[in-house]
Amino acid sequence: MQLFATCLGDLLFPDAVADAEALLRRAGFDVAFPGGQVCCGQPAFNSGHRAAARRVARTFVRAFSHDLPIVAASGSCVTMVAHYLPELVGCEPFDVWELSSFLDACGAEVPRTNEGRRLAYHDSCHMLRELGVSAPPRRLLERSGAEVVALPRADLCCGFGGTFSVRQPEVSLAMADEKLAGAGGADALVTADPGCLMHLRGRASRAGAPTRVVHLATALARGVA
Amino acid sequence: MSDLSAQRTSGGGLGGTGRFPRREEAAQLAQPRGRFREIARGSLRNDYTLAALDIATDRLRDNRLAAWEALPEVEELRARAHDVRMRVIDDLDRYVAQFTAAVEARGGRVHFARTAEDASRYVTDVCRRTGAKLAAKAKSMVSEEIRLNDALEAAGVRPVETDLGEYIVQLAGEHPVHILAPAIEKTIEEVADLLSREEGGPIPAELGALTAAARRQLRETFLNADVGITGANFAVAETGSICLVTNEGNGRLVSSLPRVHVALLGMERLVASLDDLAVMLRLLARSGTGQKLSSYTTLITGPRRDGEQDGPEELHVVIVDNGRSNLLGTKYREMLACIRCGACLNVCPVYRKAGGGAYGPVYSGPMGAVLLPLLVGLERAESLPHASSLCGACTEACPVKIPLHELLLELRRDLVEQRVAPWAERVAFTLWSLAWSTPAGYRLSTAFARLGQPLAGAFGPGRVWASGRALPRLGRRFRDRR
Repeated sequence: MQLFATCLGDLLFPDAVADAEALLRRAGFDVAFPGGQVCCGQPAFNSGHRAAARRVARTFVRAFSHDLPIVAASGSCVTMVAHYLPELVGCEPFDVWELSSFLDACGAEVPRTNEGRRLAYHDSCHMLRELGVSAPPRRLLERSGAEVVALPRADLCCGFGGTFSVRQPEVSLAMADEKLAGAGGADALVTADPGCLMHLRGRASRAGAPTRVVHLATALARGVA
Repeated sequence: MSDLSAQRTSGGGLGGTGRFPRREEAAQLAQPRGRFREIARGSLRNDYTLAALDIATDRLRDNRLAAWEALPEVEELRARAHDVRMRVIDDLDRYVAQFTAAVEARGGRVHFARTAEDASRYVTDVCRRTGAKLAAKAKSMVSEEIRLNDALEAAGVRPVETDLGEYIVQLAGEHPVHILAPAIEKTIEEVADLLSREEGGPIPAELGALTAAARRQLRETFLNADVGITGANFAVAETGSICLVTNEGNGRLVSSLPRVHVALLGMERLVASLDDLAVMLRLLARSGTGQKLSSYTTLITGPRRDGEQDGPEELHVVIVDNGRSNLLGTKYREMLACIRCGACLNVCPVYRKAGGGAYGPVYSGPMGAVLLPLLVGLERAESLPHASSLCGACTEACPVKIPLHELLLELRRDLVEQRVAPWAERVAFTLWSLAWSTPAGYRLSTAFARLGQPLAGAFGPGRVWASGRALPRLGRRFRDRR
């Protein structure tokens, strides 16, 4: 299979991408990392800049093969590639998977890294609604030994929303604060999206919130400690 | 009864917190850049507003989900409702003609108004011709949209809202902040104060007393009104019927007691037949409040006929375009399927923080963010397509399956392609995309970004980000570790 680091993963969360790679290798996969990859174009696409999005999305088409599955540790980038990119650039659809749905579908074993821990899982919106993936990440966390505690109103967005986070910063922060407060009773708040992670972790850090925010790949590969 | 218009123009007093556009300021539906953020900030500072939004939207949402769950065929029904709406919208001329003929055949008058001014003028002309001085109004979002109350007052007719929420909002001189629950953000004390002022004596801030006072005050309007003005939840093309869905019964009183009844409807409110109406009615109340049906579902077909005991002598139906035909035949036409149930507002995480006023004086939440730019023009409502995190909760909640978040995405595209989006934003995305169009450009630009990292929080979006969040650190890239 082919690993798509995503731009946020490559630049800001390289450890989480390395954790994703470790999980895939552990599950017995031969992990290829196409060196020509850049970004799926989503930042521009979601802001309405189709020409800019198309220019960047073409790097994805040039870098990845249609013959092997593609796995990314990001629900929203997978949504972009699965639902919007083929029409945007005019190409055949890709066989693209979000990490936890791929591991779960393969029946992959995960290490018992979270024995005795209480973890809250934050559904990222695109992963929940556009990919329809909500059970696999929870199932994998449970298989890692964690008790998965429910967030109040797990359906609510955390307020990242790409450029929304800087176009409407006050509303965006209020949404993050509500999400973080809801996870107060858990040992960590786990999310499968680098965007949500950057936003929630940055907010927790600035607001002095005690909640630790961890990428799903890291939580599964190394535990949240 | 004291003079409502005097209270309204006084501007201050209750609700004068600056959270909502005052009626005078909101003379236009246009939503200047920055307005959404400014009003949202006000909502976020007000703990009561936030709590009220949470409680009310959660309850309405939970009710809808329970009602949908109790209906095994709900998905099939939603698909049918979508078809029922789109069949009319894709052939609207024919259905408007059929409806017009049916109303006229039963003795009603139909006026097709291209603009808000045209619609208001027709209504004020009816009032003038019939010597009307007092108009009783049932809830009508389209009357808010065309600013009918302003036109009536200018013509010397006093409009009184009779939907309780609308009445409260009118007494406060404000605008509805939720299409179903217009006074959702008002405290019970604020309501008591407003009703006390109208009463000319104190009314305790207690539900029973407030309801009794409102009933007393509104009863006078029902009995004395010269003209009754309603909206229409649906209009049936085959029979020329107007369908009103209310819980307070005010729609029935307003449409039957006064000598003249004027019904306003957006041109897309039509359904083809009574069978199609039945499909819509099964979904409307369930999606709005979680009821199987609202307390009153009223079907009005023509004015009073010979030998009938009650009903108005004159029935006027004003069909309002006011920008709706902009949507016909376009990628946005599905927005015309909206049945104004409010389900999308109740699930929207942005609405529940920003409050309804942020979207402008009439429509709010996701449906408002899509509809308003289409009605008034993107350049006059450019912040609305971005007043969403594109989480998709609205699309999931829409009973008629309007892809609301995808329409917002399309509007954003049009903002760029019609060059409404700021010049600097277009340049920034273009430069970014040129840099990231090759792996070498990506490596080079991100290496520079790493060098410039200490400045990231100093200007532009980085500064906005850093005002409430720690900036992430650009370290060694994943690709360089392999």
